Amino acid sequence: MQKIQNFIKSPKAKAVLICLVLVLPWLPLGGSTNYVLRILTTVVLYMCLALGLNIVPGFNGLLDLGYVGFYGIGAYTAGLLSIHYNMPFWVVVPLAAMNGALWGILLGTPTLRLTGDYFAIVTFGFSELVVLVIRNELWLTRGPMGLPGISPPSIFGHTFMYDWEYFYLALFMLMIVIVVVSRLQDSRIGRAWFAIREDDIAAQCSGVNLIKYKVTAFAISAAIGGMGGAFYAKWFRFIHPDMFKFWESILILCLVVLGGLGSITGTMLGALVLIPLSEILRMVLPQSMFNARYMIYGLVLVMMMRWRPDGLIPFVRDQENKALKIKNRILNTKAFQPAADKE
Amino acid sequence: MKRIFCLMLALTMIAGIAWAETITIPVASPYTGQLASFGEGVKNGALLKAEEINAAGGINGKQLEISLEDELCDPKEAATVATKIANNPKIGIVVGHLCSSATLAALPIYRDAKLPAITPASTNVSIGKMSPYYFRDVYRDDFQGLFLAQYAHQIKGYKKVAVFYEVNDYSMGLMLAFMKEAKKLGIKILGTEAYTSDTSDFKPQLTKFKMMKPDAIFIPGYAPQGTLIVSQAVGLGLKTEFFGADGLDDDLMTKNPDAEGLFVTTPFLPDKAGPEAESFIKAYNKKHGKDPNWFAANTYDAVGIAAQAIEHVGLDREKIRNYLASIDSKEKAYVGVTGKTYFDENGDCLKSAFIKVIKDGKWVGAEKQLR
Amino acid sequence: MESLLEQSSLILQQLVNGITLGGVYALIAVGYTMVYGVIQLINFAHGEIYMLGAFLTFTMVTTLHLPFFVAILLTIMLCACFGIILDFVAYRPLRKAPRLAALITAIGMSLFLQNLALLIWGSQIKSYPREVLPAIFSKAAFSLGDVFISWIQVFILSVTVIAMFMLHIIIHKTKVGTAMRAVSQDKTTAALMGIAVNRVISFTFAIGSAMGAMAGIMVGLYYNAIFPHMGYMAGVKAFAAAVLGGIGSVPGAMLGGGVLGIAEVLGAGYLSSEYRDGISYAVMILVILFKPAGLIGKPLTEKV
Repeated sequence: MQKIQNFIKSPKAKAVLICLVLVLPWLPLGGSTNYVLRILTTVVLYMCLALGLNIVPGFNGLLDLGYVGFYGIGAYTAGLLSIHYNMPFWVVVPLAAMNGALWGILLGTPTLRLTGDYFAIVTFGFSELVVLVIRNELWLTRGPMGLPGISPPSIFGHTFMYDWEYFYLALFMLMIVIVVVSRLQDSRIGRAWFAIREDDIAAQCSGVNLIKYKVTAFAISAAIGGMGGAFYAKWFRFIHPDMFKFWESILILCLVVLGGLGSITGTMLGALVLIPLSEILRMVLPQSMFNARYMIYGLVLVMMMRWRPDGLIPFVRDQENKALKIKNRILNTKAFQPAADKE
Repeated sequence: MKRIFCLMLALTMIAGIAWAETITIPVASPYTGQLASFGEGVKNGALLKAEEINAAGGINGKQLEISLEDELCDPKEAATVATKIANNPKIGIVVGHLCSSATLAALPIYRDAKLPAITPASTNVSIGKMSPYYFRDVYRDDFQGLFLAQYAHQIKGYKKVAVFYEVNDYSMGLMLAFMKEAKKLGIKILGTEAYTSDTSDFKPQLTKFKMMKPDAIFIPGYAPQGTLIVSQAVGLGLKTEFFGADGLDDDLMTKNPDAEGLFVTTPFLPDKAGPEAESFIKAYNKKHGKDPNWFAANTYDAVGIAAQAIEHVGLDREKIRNYLASIDSKEKAYVGVTGKTYFDENGDCLKSAFIKVIKDGKWVGAEKQLR
Repeated sequence: MESLLEQSSLILQQLVNGITLGGVYALIAVGYTMVYGVIQLINFAHGEIYMLGAFLTFTMVTTLHLPFFVAILLTIMLCACFGIILDFVAYRPLRKAPRLAALITAIGMSLFLQNLALLIWGSQIKSYPREVLPAIFSKAAFSLGDVFISWIQVFILSVTVIAMFMLHIIIHKTKVGTAMRAVSQDKTTAALMGIAVNRVISFTFAIGSAMGAMAGIMVGLYYNAIFPHMGYMAGVKAFAAAVLGGIGSVPGAMLGGGVLGIAEVLGAGYLSSEYRDGISYAVMILVILFKPAGLIGKPLTEKV
């Protein structure tokens, strides 16, 4: 395990991985290239979603069971805007993310005062209410008739058609999410989050404004969820309330827990393992057993909590490294140089 | 990651080799899950047709193989399954899907892959208009709703009807079509109430209906809930008649003694079918010990149409589409067990509907049909 | 005048529907509330025990042809044992872990059990054939004018009331009950006073699961519809009922169940049947936000 971890962290592995991923659509995989690509696009999408969710339980230690609510809000925002106003992809996605964030703030502000389990159950209730509204407000969402006919994204007048185009688009989105999340993790906000995660009362005593930081975390997480939803809507070009069931929240939580709560690499690895697993199970298992595949996800959750609560790639090591780096950086700044003059 | 790729690669290659000698028509539908009993009809119908084609020498000498693709009536699953099908170059036409929401999710994928598809069961109005590659050998919701309203008015003489619908596309499409026509005919709609598929308590809504004293309650939903609704209504002392659409056309309903007298629309009626259907019904009965339902009959015909297309123009997707589009009049129609099938410019078809009713715990054709 | 009579019988019938539903919610809610009271864990898998209760009785009656009341007793005992096993396998190892870990485990167990049932019994709705049920269940008990009350409804209500009464006695008059109350106040101190904390927790799980199983059996009879996902919705609503009444309080669970059942039925009857399930969610969210202690619960203070 240690070896694998070290290998994954080495720059060589990263370079190989990036190359592999970039040439992937051009690898000769026969007639099934598009099928593989579609699954991989799903993997990348879920990586984004899992990274977004990770902010709340991973960085803040709060269980969010309503993530699919924001995902759905994002998808329907994007779908409706592009159907009714014919807005381009590059406008729709930020708007969907903003709408997600808005709802994150609206929900988070009153509820983030609650203790862990109550917060979890309120987020769950929220996401179910979101789906109920989507299902029942026909004038807005067409309800169970679904929202067909969403225009595909386009860039410089070129409309997306092929699976590899969506794949690169998803990768681009993932890059943005990784940059945002890892920068946040290292920032002042990130450190405040970890303080809250370790002990919120101690954090509060050290002058961390709990509500402010928790709501920020929730809003950013919701924004990423909204963005993922927007991509999903533009990619599938049809959205339906059934796509945003509670199980999606659990699946994404499962990715995060399997990979390692709080760990960025781990979360991505979780998506890389579990999402294709579902497709492999479809081929390997008889259908009646395939339907019960969530049984395996349930077992994953239980066993991970029992024997490896830190996930495949534990987060602690990362944090220690980072802490060391930060310490060095601080020591190298002017303030700590002997000749620094103080005003 | 590499290992996963290798595995996938190997699996698809194995699959490719296995298919090389035959012609494959995928049939996508829910075979497991809550609607599995509908999928069973689809499966039986498709396999029976393939067996008969193969016994008669196959398609141009090649054996026909049906690959059953299960999508659980879930739009997301349907999209994945559709990608899998669409990216197999050896496939020229697909039969499916069953639920309209699944069909709508798969539709853009088939359209992009220029893969023609025939659905034996999706009745949602918008399907035909959205893709030149989608065809169906089943009527649309608006026709079914209109038909039921006319039957309720002309034959049954209902004056006041209440509608108890499920919150899904199928049920709501039917409800809207029914109510539109009912208004025209002067049937009073006393009220509409909704339910979801994960509940089994319908009493609050039924109690409300009881007050309204309707002549009949229209249930445009599926059988698993339909049978509960009927029983609970009887338990509440609600004395009224019930009717539904083809979603209630299932053996679950006949097992419920409270459902005696309930009538439904159906695209296919064994005892009213033409001479072409006789041998089909016999063969089906021999194999499965019961009469075929309309899912089986429609799929049987859909596979027949697909096979005929391949026989005439080969496996080229564009040619198959053009061939199907050319079946556009009564003269050129495909004559199958469900009557003559031909497509209009949207790929929709015009077909007659029948009424069947539960009598002594069995489905029988209603004595008075609408002409 | 006639319409006034009709109106009132309509409301009365809806109240009967609501109280029956509420009784079921209350029975399930007791399981949530007791476990939460003792180990501060939302036992998500509780809804699945309710589902198992329904399935086990169904299988015993239809496949094994056991007499009806034998099947019920066996199911209740099996489910009680199952609750103990569940605690032993899943939750006990995590007593000292962060609460997030236990909560995730609970969700995992719920997912696991639900899909296990899906694998064993399939996803289609199961119904008792009419022959196997005691004849009394298919008859209406009595009707007051237009209000119909069936024997099953009477049965559900009486079982609920008796069970609650017995529970009250167990908690307040027996030694085990005293130990349960002590553990719920402070585990460490209770252990120091010579209480076998883990045994008390097992006992709590057993009682809660037995109640859940009873609810499952009765719902299976009442609606005659048994399916693997039935525990999900019922579990959520019962949890809402427990929160509404004040989590940790047994009379609260009963009150919460009743109120929620009536609210749901009246909401579906008079407001909008489309948003019927939303009523429980909304009630739950509002109660947690504005009155987290519920209707008759004690306010929780976090110990530092």
